[in-house]
Amino acid sequence: MEILRNLARRKLRSTLTILGIVIGIFALTTMGAMSEHFNVLFNFAEEWYSSSIPVGSPDGQAPLLPLSKIGEIQKVDGVAAAFPGYSFGMKPGEVTTVSFGIPDTIVAYDPREAPYQAFKRSIAQGKDLTATSRGEVVLGTSVANEFKKRVGDRIDMPVRPRDARPNFVNHSFTVVGILNSAGTAPDSFAYISVADAQMLFKDVLPVAVRGSIDTTTVTEGITVYGKPGTSVADLDHIADQINQQVPEVKAIRPSDLVRSYRSGGATFTAITTAAAVLALVIGGLSVVNTMIMAVIERYREIGLKKAVGAHTVRVLREYLMEATLIGFLGGAIGYVLGVLLTNLLNVAGRSSNLELFLVTPKLTAIALAFALALGAVAGLIPAFRAARLDPVLALRTTN
Amino acid sequence: MASIELVDLTKHYRQGKTVVRAVEGVSLEIGAGEFVSVVGRSGSGKTTMLDLIGLLLRPTSGTVLIDGQDVGRLGDDRRADVRSQRIGFIFQEFNLLPALNVVENVMLPLRYAKARTKDGRTRTLELLESVGLEDRARHRPDELSGGQQQRVAIARALVNRPTVVLGDEPTGSVDTQTSKELVGLMRWLNREEGVTFVIVTHDLELAGHADRVIRLSDGRVVGDEPIRHAA
Repeated sequence: MEILRNLARRKLRSTLTILGIVIGIFALTTMGAMSEHFNVLFNFAEEWYSSSIPVGSPDGQAPLLPLSKIGEIQKVDGVAAAFPGYSFGMKPGEVTTVSFGIPDTIVAYDPREAPYQAFKRSIAQGKDLTATSRGEVVLGTSVANEFKKRVGDRIDMPVRPRDARPNFVNHSFTVVGILNSAGTAPDSFAYISVADAQMLFKDVLPVAVRGSIDTTTVTEGITVYGKPGTSVADLDHIADQINQQVPEVKAIRPSDLVRSYRSGGATFTAITTAAAVLALVIGGLSVVNTMIMAVIERYREIGLKKAVGAHTVRVLREYLMEATLIGFLGGAIGYVLGVLLTNLLNVAGRSSNLELFLVTPKLTAIALAFALALGAVAGLIPAFRAARLDPVLALRTTN
Repeated sequence: MASIELVDLTKHYRQGKTVVRAVEGVSLEIGAGEFVSVVGRSGSGKTTMLDLIGLLLRPTSGTVLIDGQDVGRLGDDRRADVRSQRIGFIFQEFNLLPALNVVENVMLPLRYAKARTKDGRTRTLELLESVGLEDRARHRPDELSGGQQQRVAIARALVNRPTVVLGDEPTGSVDTQTSKELVGLMRWLNREEGVTFVIVTHDLELAGHADRVIRLSDGRVVGDEPIRHAA
């Protein structure tokens, strides 16, 4: 109570100091939430590529592989399964200079692939696709929200651009299911059957070659799985074997992809953390300044406390608690403001699939712990100064 | 047994290149329950002697005994404990904490007392009644007059039931009438509580109400006389 009243005695100064911490923790929360969002994406990619091998056309060639390659790949030692992959932009013609998230994507889904995938999808509403599904789609949460679709609704995919040419083709699908939010890539996906994907694949081929290619015999890429539990090192070895034994394909070593995503995540975290820490250091210095002023102003009070029996450690503790409280108040306000802003921006960005922030329990703990630690550390020097005061000199001080 | 005993007490300190002999070989005894005033000109060593008795300063040499215990050479924390348990302080400038109300100010020494007294609040309210401030319990110091603030300080000095109360010019910041009232109050509490009072003062009115007056000059005791009061 005394600490709160002491803060209230110098309202403007206390407010400005707390504001310094507010700005710091606000920056940490918002930047951290953005970092967490991207980390989830990177982690998903890392998890995904830790359990599968992407196989595509050899370097420098268009992504077009004969499906017969699947049979050849399955003969390679260690390969448990291989599936064709097709994916298409949901909104062709959309101009995006910098993308902060996974764009809406139409993805082919074969139910037989599910047991091998590291990421386990779960249906929130409706049902999943079957091997015989045609004209049906299962939407990720973000796509369903963005297009305001429920189970039973119909959706035309890909979305017709405003300036579409007369020969633009899309197809109507029935929404049969909506996925639970994964907080990452699948939220932006619209899953269709492989047969429907091959139909869309034909639409995206250049007109000049469209008639000469049977899209039921080709794929954009192949996803290869080892037995469940196969290590990344073993998958690397399988990728090497595929490259050696199967001509005209390029298998990418999973460890290269994992390393790339890890490095991306670390760089992003470093940049956002550095910006937030800079703001926090400035806030911390203002706490040091305020607490030194508080100690100077309260020399006589400190002298009195020591005279009536306060031990050095007790005085130290009181001033540390005051500094820590400043940190906590600033931290709590900054954190709440940060959460409010990130939620508002997420809601605003939802319609364009631009949810950039993710406040996690880890971020909450870091932000609040950082605020407390900042206050305590910033209060150390002033608190030691108070605790070591000679009571006689302190009592004789004229304010 | 004497409440306070000083044996050949000396306090020297450096001021630039000069050694100041603030207290020089002072030996005296103050009995339990005595009301003693210490007088002398500025720089005579009164306040230094009071700080030595109050364990706020360490002596250069000599011994300080309180209730028979040699306390002059104790470590900082033990000295703080002795101050908390046996010594009360009254200062010229009251030294109340502005963030605390009257009750909280009086109870401040209890916060730091090693042995917590269960009846601390009751004791505080009784003392506030004794000093006539029971209706000001929730007021902040800046809502009180100088005299009232010093009454709060007197109650604070007594809350831990000390054996000695040390006053450094306790009437130095109040008017004559208030000074008289404070002197009367301290004398009354001295008798009621049986606590020893050692008051450093320039106030002859206050000094005249003591049982005994000790005169200091250049850090030495130059006079130590009892005062007879009319019955």
